[in-house]
Amino acid sequence: MARSNYVTEWWLQRISGMLIGAYVLLLIVLLLINGTPNAAQWQALFANGLFKAATLLALVATAYHGLVGALHVWPDYVKSRAVLAVLNAYTWLAAGAVVLWSVHILFGSK
Amino acid sequence: MANPDPATLAKARPRPVYRNIGFGELSNYRLPIPGIASIVHRVTGVALFVALLFLLGLLQMSLKSEAGFEAFRSMVWGNLFGKLVLIGLLFALIYHWIAGIRHILQDRNWWLDLTAARSTASAVFVISAVLTLLIVWRLW
Repeated sequence: MARSNYVTEWWLQRISGMLIGAYVLLLIVLLLINGTPNAAQWQALFANGLFKAATLLALVATAYHGLVGALHVWPDYVKSRAVLAVLNAYTWLAAGAVVLWSVHILFGSK
Repeated sequence: MANPDPATLAKARPRPVYRNIGFGELSNYRLPIPGIASIVHRVTGVALFVALLFLLGLLQMSLKSEAGFEAFRSMVWGNLFGKLVLIGLLFALIYHWIAGIRHILQDRNWWLDLTAARSTASAVFVISAVLTLLIVWRLW
């Protein structure tokens, strides 16, 4: 991989981490301020367009962050090429599934 | 330059091989606290990534209907196993987050000397545990 790709990946990994951190902080603060929500409050929160968009952004950032992190971690410990191929395939599939499922949950028909 | 004597070469100490350790070697390898902090950062990251699909399933269940929310609520709030899993994931999330911030600051050349690396690694564990307990205490 070219050096510029590594630098881009390094930045994207940190930016995605910060996006996830900001979203989790927002969610925790909302829960701490308002207490444990009931069904109506919880569903109203996720019906808000801005919160939906923030949730999708955080989930896409999580999928990317996890994909890059896992693809770097596996080869440091797993020496078998076959096991590594399975883990890499799982990682790509899981990251793709997270993005598609998130869109379905947040914007699909109920 | 003359070629080295083959007898000398045979006696020479083998060059050290630097490599990452395998899973089987983890139990007999004594890591310093910054090393443990780094490994736990990786382990929590993998655990969160693996758990993400399970958490999405819970989110979908909770948003589907009032009955779905109640099922989600009883899994999370009304069940000791569910609580323990979620507390573990909450700790993993907070730990991964704080250790990530420490890594970013170390990328900026902060806290790189041994004393600072050790104390900040310990601090990451303590702060994560305290924050997890505070959130759990407030929410449950």
